[in-house]
Amino acid sequence: MSMLIKRLSRYAMVTCLGVLAVGCGPQRVPPGLVYCSEGNPESFNPQLVTSGTTVDATSQQLYNSLVDYDAKSGRITPSLATDWLISDDELTYTFTLRKGVDFHQSIDFTPSRQFNADDVLFSFNRVIDTNHPYHSVSKTGYPFFQSIGFDKQINLIEKISDDKVAFHLNARDASFLSNLASGFAVILSEEYADGLAIRGEKEKIDRLPIGTGPFQLIKYVKNEYIRYHRNEHYWRTLPKSEMLVFDITPKSTSRLAKLITGDCSVSALPKAGELEVILAHDELVIDSQPGFNVAFWAFNTQKPPFDDVRVRKALAHAVDRENILRVVYQKTAVNATGLLPPMSWAYSENKPIINYDPEEAKRLLKEANITKLSIDIWAMPVARIYNPNALKTAELIQADLANIDVKVNIVSYDWSVFNQKLSQHSYDSVLIGWTADNSDPDNFFTPILSCSSVTSSSNRSRWCHPDLDLILAQARSTTNIEERKKFYQAAEAIFASQLPMLPLAHATKLAFKHKGVSEMELTPFGGISFTGTEESANQNKPKEELR
Amino acid sequence: MPQIKVYQGDEIPSPMRKIWLTFADNPFAFAGLWAVAGFLLLAVFGPLIAPYSAEHQDPQALLLAPSWDPAGTVEHFLGTDDLGRDIFSRLLHGAHLTFGVALGIVLTSLVLGFIIGSISGMMKGLKSSILSHLLDALLSIPSLLMAILVVAVMGPGLNNVFWAVGIALTPQFVRAIHQAIHEELQKEYVKAAKLDGANPIQIFWYVIMPNVWDTVIIQTTLGISAAILDIAALGFLNLGAQAPSPEWGAMVSQGMDNILTAPWTVTIPGVAILCSVLAINLVGDGLRSALSPINN
Amino acid sequence: MVRYLLRRLNLFLATSLVLFIVLFIVTNQFPVEQRFALTGIQSPNAQQIAQIETDFNLNSGVFNQFIAYLQQRLSGNLGISATSQRPVADELASVLPATFELAAVSGTLALMFGLPLGILASLSRHKVTQHTIMAITLTGYSIPVFWLGLTLSLWFGVELGWLPISGRLNLLYEIEPVTGFMLVDTLLSTSPYSTSAFFDAVLHIILPAITLAVLPFTVVVRITRSAMMTIMDQTYIKAAEARGLHTSRIVLRHALPNAVIPVIKSLGLMLGSFASYAMVVEVIFAWPGIGSWLVAGIYQRDYTVIQGGVLAVALIIIFLSIMIEVLHTSINPLSRKELYASN
Repeated sequence: MSMLIKRLSRYAMVTCLGVLAVGCGPQRVPPGLVYCSEGNPESFNPQLVTSGTTVDATSQQLYNSLVDYDAKSGRITPSLATDWLISDDELTYTFTLRKGVDFHQSIDFTPSRQFNADDVLFSFNRVIDTNHPYHSVSKTGYPFFQSIGFDKQINLIEKISDDKVAFHLNARDASFLSNLASGFAVILSEEYADGLAIRGEKEKIDRLPIGTGPFQLIKYVKNEYIRYHRNEHYWRTLPKSEMLVFDITPKSTSRLAKLITGDCSVSALPKAGELEVILAHDELVIDSQPGFNVAFWAFNTQKPPFDDVRVRKALAHAVDRENILRVVYQKTAVNATGLLPPMSWAYSENKPIINYDPEEAKRLLKEANITKLSIDIWAMPVARIYNPNALKTAELIQADLANIDVKVNIVSYDWSVFNQKLSQHSYDSVLIGWTADNSDPDNFFTPILSCSSVTSSSNRSRWCHPDLDLILAQARSTTNIEERKKFYQAAEAIFASQLPMLPLAHATKLAFKHKGVSEMELTPFGGISFTGTEESANQNKPKEELR
Repeated sequence: MPQIKVYQGDEIPSPMRKIWLTFADNPFAFAGLWAVAGFLLLAVFGPLIAPYSAEHQDPQALLLAPSWDPAGTVEHFLGTDDLGRDIFSRLLHGAHLTFGVALGIVLTSLVLGFIIGSISGMMKGLKSSILSHLLDALLSIPSLLMAILVVAVMGPGLNNVFWAVGIALTPQFVRAIHQAIHEELQKEYVKAAKLDGANPIQIFWYVIMPNVWDTVIIQTTLGISAAILDIAALGFLNLGAQAPSPEWGAMVSQGMDNILTAPWTVTIPGVAILCSVLAINLVGDGLRSALSPINN
Repeated sequence: MVRYLLRRLNLFLATSLVLFIVLFIVTNQFPVEQRFALTGIQSPNAQQIAQIETDFNLNSGVFNQFIAYLQQRLSGNLGISATSQRPVADELASVLPATFELAAVSGTLALMFGLPLGILASLSRHKVTQHTIMAITLTGYSIPVFWLGLTLSLWFGVELGWLPISGRLNLLYEIEPVTGFMLVDTLLSTSPYSTSAFFDAVLHIILPAITLAVLPFTVVVRITRSAMMTIMDQTYIKAAEARGLHTSRIVLRHALPNAVIPVIKSLGLMLGSFASYAMVVEVIFAWPGIGSWLVAGIYQRDYTVIQGGVLAVALIIIFLSIMIEVLHTSINPLSRKELYASN
């Protein structure tokens, strides 16, 4: 008997040793960078979406735009266009295109020519020309372009020569170049599209993307990862990392855990409460940037009772926004007094848009003859830059509204489904927000509050106010900063009086990363660039000065 | 005629009493019984003794550590979560949901399973075999898959968990009772009763049932522990009770957000689930060993 | 024997049919358009609509619809996933091996540690040892698996930093799936990193496999122990002891083969809860198997994925439980007698 026990325990010991030996072996890992991202991209063509998740995974990795926006200097800089000429009437923009830019090469596509004017024409005509063979390949439409009325803005795009393209506008537009620099206005390959059309596989263009960007898509596995390889023929300096992997991790805690265990080197969208964890780990650092964004609670103004401004104001009065700022953002955000963040040049300090006053809320509801109100709040399931935890925000609002006898039902779906269902407009109200694509203040109004944005899904309030549209049009037609500033203040005033949505906060943009990760470009706007990023092999060595 | 006790020490306890004596002899099982009784009381009276309501938010006390931690306070005995809600109160409210709903589900599916199982157990031939095929198919769908199907049709929520877990549990009761009856039917004593001219109902109720009760009891304890674990697992996966609900599994899932900064928001509801299931299993184990001499 | 196998086959077909009926009914109850629920095509054009209607016989009676549904599903048409636009059957094929790998490793762990411990528990006359083992198994049986998984990953992953806590492999390794089993694929791979990838895969599977192994482990210990205790009291063991055989020989050669029989039976009965547990474990450890795929499917309201996943898991469980029953019958001399008796 004791023999048996001995034998059994020996056998158990051998097994344990085996496991340990495996754990101790030296680990060789291929060079590359893993980024823990927060969700599945809806598509691999940013023209088709407004979601930041998709923009992060596509715009700056796979594509280039005609022009770039330099956050540091606040200027428009050359990209695929080397320079541009604006006519005196500001109605014609002529771009000179860069030579020697190669498109990606894949199993489906071997480029026979380099980037030229045809690609520019294809990329934009697809969006604005409803008869274009590729226009209706996407079933989602082109929400960003529709929301800014891009198709009405442009009269004609003209190919002057292989390396010259002219955009003829219908009206003067101070935000035109900024819009071209946004992550949505990317350049696709016309040759690839032609090839796909011949084979009858048009829908592949948005699923198996070909662009000119620093990275090329290798494999996408839903819910798991996106793998990119470096584009070895990239026209700018080659990215430092040979491989880039987006590890799709919807839960913020899991992202942080993966960062700690070393499964990823950079982690997106941390929650404010996690900052102290980072401080406790020497090998981790925080990147932060004051954000160009706004989180809001949008009411579906086309649905009763939210068509009544008194109801909207009553609900807004009942919400303790200071509390949300403290609990959800934990000092990583500033209180919103309107749509524009303090960083914007059009911002001027005005008084808080609406104060916390439950009694006033009750009075307004009574005035509007509303009793026993029960509303749905749709809360995003994932963290976004502007709101790290919409579900918690919703729970706070739920408790606040219970004080004025309004019952709240919180609704949430998986992120991609959430976006899809939002565009069906059946919601009462939604907690969401907006990250600006460029520094132009227009970007905070036209895409999310103009009448044209009601048809695209980006106007979450489904609110159309002709006066506001008029002011915005006037603001765009001039380049005089002081004049424009006045117009945007007027827009803010209309917004405050009608309150189609309750702005909550402007959040700081944060990312966590290993100390060894260099040069990650975190812009205040949407998108993230990994071109200069790599993880040094000796990441555990302290004292490496970074950025 | 009055019975005269001739031999003093020969009092034979009734079978029920015998089971009880064996059961009470096992200290673990007995402790389990006390714990189950405690949980039952909490499920009924928990909301009454809770110091705060389940949704009461205290913005001044976010993520407060439990009282035994130097950073904790006695006002919030088990600490608070990230919205400043008292975890102790939420646990008490949650007992009602997790424990109470589990009992409700088991009782409902027990009654259903008992009726179907008895009828099918007494049947023979084709009808019985069709039914057992049907049961086998339903049994092969694990409770979680059943829940996913129910959620896909009706959407998430605690009410739908009731259906999902109920649908998953009922076939188990049906099958256990069906088999127990089927086995008893083939035994000699049943034949003897038949020969005595007992009608099927008499056979069922007076002859077979007394020998099936122990299966029912054991199956019930198994069912309760399975139901608690299923409700909690569904709450954890966000398919069951939804966000502000203090259901224990949902509490774990809400605490997940802070597991790195405030591990107690996950640990404490987890321990509550573990304790309740452990108590039930202790009782079930004790019952099983108390009943087994009779089976043999 | 042939007749018995035919009966089992018949049972498999009948239960599968019931399963298809259940799924067919549920599919029609989904809160979306029937065409979308059946195929996953979001906004079909006229041509696609016509195709769907002929495929699923949507214009005739319910019975004909069911026959068409059965034909489509059996021919491998599970529709496309609404989120990824890929055929559900393809996705299924890529996630199933991961689940099998995890289940196989944790099943092996459970048997490897459960059987010896069960035997130990039955042999030990020491009250303390017995109670300890029983306490451990009862706790293991009562522990909520999601909580166990979280606690383990918090300790061993985050606090101690010993083991990775999510996925099957560090994503920087590019391993082309051949068999779908990561432990095999990493060794087959021609990449210069194949050995370290293999060790990485081993490290990744440890925590999820241990978490998942707890349930079958406790069951195996308990069943082995009670079976061994019954068997060690049998006369043939006494006879063997009387002949002066060594204890280890008695245990391993005479008692164990008989004790394994109820263990196999209990494994068959456990399959359902094992599958539920596996799904939760996959979600916690982001293991890209059928469980996390299915749960993501329900979050995304991807109705074709839900149907495909439920169908696959249930079919596998039906098949395995019948296989285990056949195995049980074939190695159990007692139940062989029942082969020819009525079922």
